[in-house]
Amino acid sequence: MSTPEADHSRDPCPIVILSDFGGAFSMGAIGGSIWHGIKGFRNSPYGERRIGAISAIKARAPVVGGNFGTWGGLFSFYDCSIKAIRKREDAWNAILAGFCVGGSLAIRGGPKHTFNSAVTCACVLAVFEGVGMMFQRYMAWANKPVAMPLPEQQAGPAPLGA
Amino acid sequence: MSWLFGSKQEKKETPVAPAGQAGFDANQISDISSILKSNTLDPTKLHPLAGLDKDIEYLDLDEEKLTSLEGAGNGLLPSRGWTDDLCYGTGTVYVLGLGLGGIRGLNEGLKNLPQGRVDPVTNQLRPVPFKLKLNTVLNQVTKFGPHMGNNAGVLAIMYNLIDSSLDNIRNKHDDLNSLAAGFLSGALFRSSKGLKPMGYSAGAMTLVAAAWCGLKRVIN
Repeated sequence: MSTPEADHSRDPCPIVILSDFGGAFSMGAIGGSIWHGIKGFRNSPYGERRIGAISAIKARAPVVGGNFGTWGGLFSFYDCSIKAIRKREDAWNAILAGFCVGGSLAIRGGPKHTFNSAVTCACVLAVFEGVGMMFQRYMAWANKPVAMPLPEQQAGPAPLGA
Repeated sequence: MSWLFGSKQEKKETPVAPAGQAGFDANQISDISSILKSNTLDPTKLHPLAGLDKDIEYLDLDEEKLTSLEGAGNGLLPSRGWTDDLCYGTGTVYVLGLGLGGIRGLNEGLKNLPQGRVDPVTNQLRPVPFKLKLNTVLNQVTKFGPHMGNNAGVLAIMYNLIDSSLDNIRNKHDDLNSLAAGFLSGALFRSSKGLKPMGYSAGAMTLVAAAWCGLKRVIN
């Protein structure tokens, strides 16, 4: 399989889905507790700010975590499946996986809503991939190898006429 | 359409080097170490600073290194540190909770399927359309599944964070840490409900942690 662009910093495919579920869930839950903690604190009246923050975290943070986790895990699942079918790794994998995720998550809203959501998700992923590629190219350009400086001329016989 | 389904894998023919050209006979080589240790590549002829008189050394990439904590490495998967533990542990528990909750929701939905109404004019039972039944079941699945998954996932996050912290404080990874992490995470999970629910939840999580430790022992 010639996939020179394969990402070796990640675990191999079927098992990485679990890791992505967990990573996305943790990110969502921890980020959600910070977000909703601050929001609950600010939206509570004086004297109830701490308990307001705690109840907001309890009510909302697991839901945010769940939303993130489902998204990330489904994305990883589709990404792995598409990799297994196409037998190559490129930006199209992420875009197709994004299309599938957007469609799956909106499947209960009817065909039109499903399609719109899928296309939106694919566009978002395409932008991500594009920005990533641009960044990669910029880094390659900025760190391109520099030719070694020429060594000093050996003090040989003086050129004629000098 | 090759961008979608991938192009056909072409078989590459590996050219066989004729004997003697590469310094060894390709037909007589069975494994790589016999090439590297053969006379054609005598390490003692090289500079001593290169350290080539030792046995073969393999490249040891830093980010692939497994955790070196005492007692670690008896889990189901190799772990490279606390992030691996957190991601894999939380992911597994979250998916399990989601699945179990989904099954429970499926059960509830199938139990409470909408009944058909009796038509008052013709006095016949009007069947419920399939879409309505499907909707009922799906509603129950999406009500119970994420609820259980979220709770289980939050518990797993707390357990793994506390467990890894205790590991790093005590510099070893053993069952005691697991039990303590289970107790603390269970207590924290119900900490706003009063002392009694806190105790129940802490006890239950300690039991779960003990079961996990026992499972690891049985598998290894």
